[in-house]
Amino acid sequence: MKYSFVSKSPGDTLKFGIRLGKHLKPGDVVCLEGELGAGKTVLTGGIAKGLGIITGVTSPTYTIINEYPGEIPLYHIDLYRLEDGDEFYYIGGEDLLYGQGVSVIEWASRAEGILPEDCLWISLKRLDESKDFRLIELTVAEKHRDFLERVSKSENTGH
Amino acid sequence: MKILAIDTSSMVASAAVMDGQKLLAEYIVNHKRTHSEQLMPIIEKVLESSGTGIREIDAIAVASGPGSFTGLRIGAATAKGLAHARGIKIVGVPTLDGLAFNLPHCQGIICPIMDARRNQVYTALYKWDRGGFYKLMTHCAIALSELLEEIKRREERVVFLGDGVPVHRETIKKELGERADFAPKNADRQRASSIAELALQALERGEGQDPESFVPFYLRKSQAEREYDRKTRPEGCL
Repeated sequence: MKYSFVSKSPGDTLKFGIRLGKHLKPGDVVCLEGELGAGKTVLTGGIAKGLGIITGVTSPTYTIINEYPGEIPLYHIDLYRLEDGDEFYYIGGEDLLYGQGVSVIEWASRAEGILPEDCLWISLKRLDESKDFRLIELTVAEKHRDFLERVSKSENTGH
Repeated sequence: MKILAIDTSSMVASAAVMDGQKLLAEYIVNHKRTHSEQLMPIIEKVLESSGTGIREIDAIAVASGPGSFTGLRIGAATAKGLAHARGIKIVGVPTLDGLAFNLPHCQGIICPIMDARRNQVYTALYKWDRGGFYKLMTHCAIALSELLEEIKRREERVVFLGDGVPVHRETIKKELGERADFAPKNADRQRASSIAELALQALERGEGQDPESFVPFYLRKSQAEREYDRKTRPEGCL
């Protein structure tokens, strides 16, 4: 199942992230795909806000995992500097993904072998119309039908 | 001979003190995975409440795997630290042996299952026969469906226990019907006293190792092995 959204500015991407964050549940794993500058960190910042986390979000490229405590904790993970899923396993990654928080993973395809089967995949693509425009596409498994409906409904109501 | 046993291989954190005569103290907590904060205070409590000084402990027993990666690391690091400082041995007891030992002198087959995610379980099969405890199938990480096939080839009733039960109970009931039983809540998760008893038996056989050489085992295939398997055959036992 897919849901598409056109973001016209970083502010739009942030708001979309907030909408996502409000509907995510402990144990959900969000995989982000998009080139440098596509807005992955902005989107994650929105998800954090939506989850009720007030700390600002920074890129985990060098730290690999940034953990934000909260009622539902957020694990922001970047696998760019890892070789494969084994390296992620041997830093305790699996325990995070199947734990009590929401995980957002950049470069997730590197660890596809250890990811849950029902991840939410989000791609951010630049659009030709303007340098700020992004096509954001959310692809989820059947299990997340309710989530997708709540997110698409919130587009109209803003909640 | 007095030993301190710990098991942090799953959501449960547990510690126990046992000597050759009896179980002196045991502590089990199954609420949130905060082993790094909880384990040392728990150890302190079982030692204190059993009036045991750490200097009286002759060996450290620890659940050696499989299980949660972080949990096994916490258990191993704690056991190593304590054993190294005291100059005593570590006895690693496989997690599934400990779980199965929660049901002593039980009839039929005992099948501990731990949730290994993505429809896989860490499992093994055990049986009591005239007072002896035997392993019918060694530890492996396999698909639940494969385990159920293996069980269907046997005749006995099977008792399931472990944190894989809530995940797979319905499938097991559907596939095995009346042949499947489930352990009661007082026995269905890790307990350090089971690790302690098995460790005492191992020590009698002269087992145990230096803290430097002890390592936990994860029973998990590398990504390269898993990809190879996916191309050639379903995942099997290690």
